[in-house]
Amino acid sequence: MRYAVGLGVLATLMVVAILLAGTGSDGGSGTATDPGKRTAEQGRRQSPGSAALLAGAAGSLPDSTRPAFDVGRTQLLDRRKVRARFASVSRRVTALARPRKGAAPVATVPAKTEEGTTNVVLVLGEKTRRGVAWVHVRLPVLPNGRTGWVPRSALGGYGFVRTRLIVDRARLSATLLVDGRPVFRAPVGIGTPAAPTPPGEFYVRLKLAGFDDPFYGPVAFGTNARSAVLTDWPGGGYIGIHGTNAPGLIPGRISHGCVRMRNKDILALSRLLPIGTPLTIR
Amino acid sequence: MSRIDTQECTLEQIAATLVDVDIDGALQETAASAFPGTRAAFMRRSLGTIATAGVGGLFVGDAVAARKAMTRNDIALLRFDLVLEYLQSAFYTEAERLGKISPKTRAWVRVVGAHERSHVRALKGLLGAKAVARPAFNFRGVTSNQASFIKTAVAFEDLTAALLKWQAPRFDSRPIVAAALTLHSVEARHAASIRYLVGLKPATSAFDAPRSQRQMARLIARTRFVTSRPQVARNERPRFTG
Repeated sequence: MRYAVGLGVLATLMVVAILLAGTGSDGGSGTATDPGKRTAEQGRRQSPGSAALLAGAAGSLPDSTRPAFDVGRTQLLDRRKVRARFASVSRRVTALARPRKGAAPVATVPAKTEEGTTNVVLVLGEKTRRGVAWVHVRLPVLPNGRTGWVPRSALGGYGFVRTRLIVDRARLSATLLVDGRPVFRAPVGIGTPAAPTPPGEFYVRLKLAGFDDPFYGPVAFGTNARSAVLTDWPGGGYIGIHGTNAPGLIPGRISHGCVRMRNKDILALSRLLPIGTPLTIR
Repeated sequence: MSRIDTQECTLEQIAATLVDVDIDGALQETAASAFPGTRAAFMRRSLGTIATAGVGGLFVGDAVAARKAMTRNDIALLRFDLVLEYLQSAFYTEAERLGKISPKTRAWVRVVGAHERSHVRALKGLLGAKAVARPAFNFRGVTSNQASFIKTAVAFEDLTAALLKWQAPRFDSRPIVAAALTLHSVEARHAASIRYLVGLKPATSAFDAPRSQRQMARLIARTRFVTSRPQVARNERPRFTG
């Protein structure tokens, strides 16, 4: 209702303004009471009224330029998607048992892995104590499953993944989930009873390719899981997920602890599995 | 528009503020009718209104023709904008995912983050093969600290609006100017809304000064938010247990 009244008043004012402009009364020279006495010269000198300017100018303006982009609908983040967080280690740091200076050391975490890649840790939580931000992380150390607190300043940027890899030792299979839904499944070879694949919660921390060693197949992923038996293995006895030159042994309990896949499966997995993916071995 | 207390306010008030700030007065009726019974449904509806009115409804154009008309100068300016939009979208997306900021700030971030991601898509689409790759970011804890987050968000939005103001007269192609202005007004609204949300003056003076690209580059470098990408893959023989 108020809008209607407002529009009515505005329209009336505009009509009055246009009528006044049409008679040449814009506050300039000449008298409003006797416009007929003004000379032609006076009429040429005066500027047009505001309303006339607005009415006339609109027709002479060029067409508006269309913006160069064409974008789709704005999308809000989907809160239902399950995400895990990881971070690179930017400097060598000692992980502590609690989020405070002086707490018991748990392990030293280097900035590089044994394979020369940037070390990453899975982030489990955060706390700020006395102005210092601490991050609770899963560690690549023995015994498996160990966690610790490191200062936020020792880590790089966060990365997020929607994936989770599950290795089932009873079923001898690996399943990759995206947002909780399985998108990939393949039979696997796991450790022998003498060198078992360790159970627990881990994460994928590096990817190797382009090497010439048929034993590991075309692609190998490194995890933070370690063999509890082969502790003197070169490189620290880390558990990998890789291809094989003996596909006939898969599925089976045939490895030194690593998770082996047929080469076509590891290649398919390598297109789906981002670094930082949580790994459950059960 | 009701004043928002920076200490005490409901999500409905915040969203109402965002609606007020983000869209034309003509659409306030829509906002008023968007108050449903449940908070979730309300947020969905009011945010959807903003999304559609604020971005989706405005950007119509022929990207292919515009791309052909772009000069090297236009491309250089737009590539810088893309880096800035990458930075902002990553900043807000991380803050929303971590969920450590206050609920009212998070509600604001949810909307603005969606806008910034949309800006990234628009600029990438416009630049095509000339688009710069997304850099790596390390926000050094700022996205999980309320006070630091607010300061940074205010700075980002103020500075982005100031940069676009500096760039606008420097573009050669008119469709690019038109596109940049659609970004500029939204960034200015973001700046005003975050300032208003935390009790600052939405506009501090009658005229805004532009900020040059060089000044912006210097400020971004000082934050150390843009970092090198971690090398998590290598061509190297494994030494796993096998």
